[in-house]
Amino acid sequence: MTLLSVRNLRVSFDTEAGLVEAVRGVSFDLGRERLGIVGESGSGKTMTGRSVLRLIRPPGKIEADAMHFDGADLMAASEAEMRALRGRRMAMVMQDPKYSLNPVMNVGAQLTEGLRQRDRLSAGDARRKAIDALEAVQIRDPERVLSAYPHELSGGMGQRVMIAMMLIPSPDLLIADEPTSALDVTVQAEVLSILDGLVRDRGMGLIFISHDLRLVARFCDRVLVMYKGRVVEELAARDLMQARHPYTQGLLNCLPRIGGSRGPLPGLDRNAEWAR
Amino acid sequence: MIEIDNLSVIFHANHRLVRAVEGVSLSIAARESFGLVGESGSGKSTILRAVCGLAPITGGQIRIAGEPVLTPRGRAFSRRVQMVFQDPYASLHPRHTIDRVLSEPLAIHGIGDTDRKVMRALEDVGLPTSFRFRYPHQLSGGQRQRVAIARALMLEPAVLLLDEPTSALDASVQAETLNLLSRLREERGLTFLMVSHDLAVIDHMCDRILVMQHGRAVEELDRADLVNVTMKTDYARSLFNASADRML
Repeated sequence: MTLLSVRNLRVSFDTEAGLVEAVRGVSFDLGRERLGIVGESGSGKTMTGRSVLRLIRPPGKIEADAMHFDGADLMAASEAEMRALRGRRMAMVMQDPKYSLNPVMNVGAQLTEGLRQRDRLSAGDARRKAIDALEAVQIRDPERVLSAYPHELSGGMGQRVMIAMMLIPSPDLLIADEPTSALDVTVQAEVLSILDGLVRDRGMGLIFISHDLRLVARFCDRVLVMYKGRVVEELAARDLMQARHPYTQGLLNCLPRIGGSRGPLPGLDRNAEWAR
Repeated sequence: MIEIDNLSVIFHANHRLVRAVEGVSLSIAARESFGLVGESGSGKSTILRAVCGLAPITGGQIRIAGEPVLTPRGRAFSRRVQMVFQDPYASLHPRHTIDRVLSEPLAIHGIGDTDRKVMRALEDVGLPTSFRFRYPHQLSGGQRQRVAIARALMLEPAVLLLDEPTSALDASVQAETLNLLSRLREERGLTFLMVSHDLAVIDHMCDRILVMQHGRAVEELDRADLVNVTMKTDYARSLFNASADRML
């Protein structure tokens, strides 16, 4: 069943230095599954995620032949309709907790703001929901974290707070932009299993944006590989090691391996043809 | 080259004692490359910071080439030991040109021939000499990390302390930076003490590895232990299992 369908998505920025095309004709369908989008910085993966929520400010411009989420036409929806979808039906975990949490509001106020404003919950009920959400992302001391300010949290803690915040309204679609890049491997495994549980138990659709190819291969069902705003290869995650496209192969080959050769790592070839 | 005996680093924060490092000992031979791994807060970066004087040595001793380090560290120390930091966006002064970043250590140490040395340093790390009068914001992350490495090498030290030098970089840029570090180590006979949370990076770069947890040393491994999964402690094994995709 298709939850999200995107056809020929284009994102461009009309800057002083000329037109910058960040995303150039991306199409994909998402069911209730885990879709990975991988690529290097500047490949357009984050912009693809943000356009689904229409979170691109002018001078950025989103164009698409079609973009539908569970029956709603995202290209035709008004700002008010989009606001009703964002958070409640589809949410995004941003990359960097340092910049994405409000630095002058404590975590409790940020977590309960939506519950109080949108769902009109009482302060006590909102607080209880916030504590449940923090426990769900394996924060051991939720009371302390609620009264903490973002600068008092480590990167991994901040990232889990953001995930908790996005999961409170139980969205049908979660877009997670590098949700585990600030975490060490052991905590990373915990966060992935939380996301995995949500896809499996609640039938959530997940778009997992990452530059870590091997992580995506292990965690996702399907992978889109992006290069300069285009999808150069789409494949089942378990087949990633047998990737056909030279760019995907190059991305894999330049990674060091445990027990691998200690000679120089191969560089990444880039071919302007692939971006056409 | 580097000997650390029973090192403790204790901070006072909000009327609490934070024991960042407790009783860690290690010894690194000249030209060896040694890795520290562990989760955030395990004290691995603090050890690097204690070596170069950015964190206090509360107990124990650090010796470089047999001599205990002085507090403050002094010029002789900075000629011998230099550090490369994790985030190339935060570790270069935003309003200093690359030229100024690279020539400052020479000026402080009264070394002449600045012009030629700066050009040479840029060439050594594979940057075009036309970058000399640019500012950090005009460079990409990988290029900035090259500048940070060039800066660390200006005084021709014997030891480089590397704190997650590639974790902020893309895979292909990481490969280029690791290749650069390996080449420089080979050419100049450098000793590396390197921190990373990526076991594959550590395995690629280091001969021996110390696994840390909660400020303590858990287990020392060599490359064979890692490849054959013959670690003795449960913690080292769980760290390895969580990184199993790094074997692919």
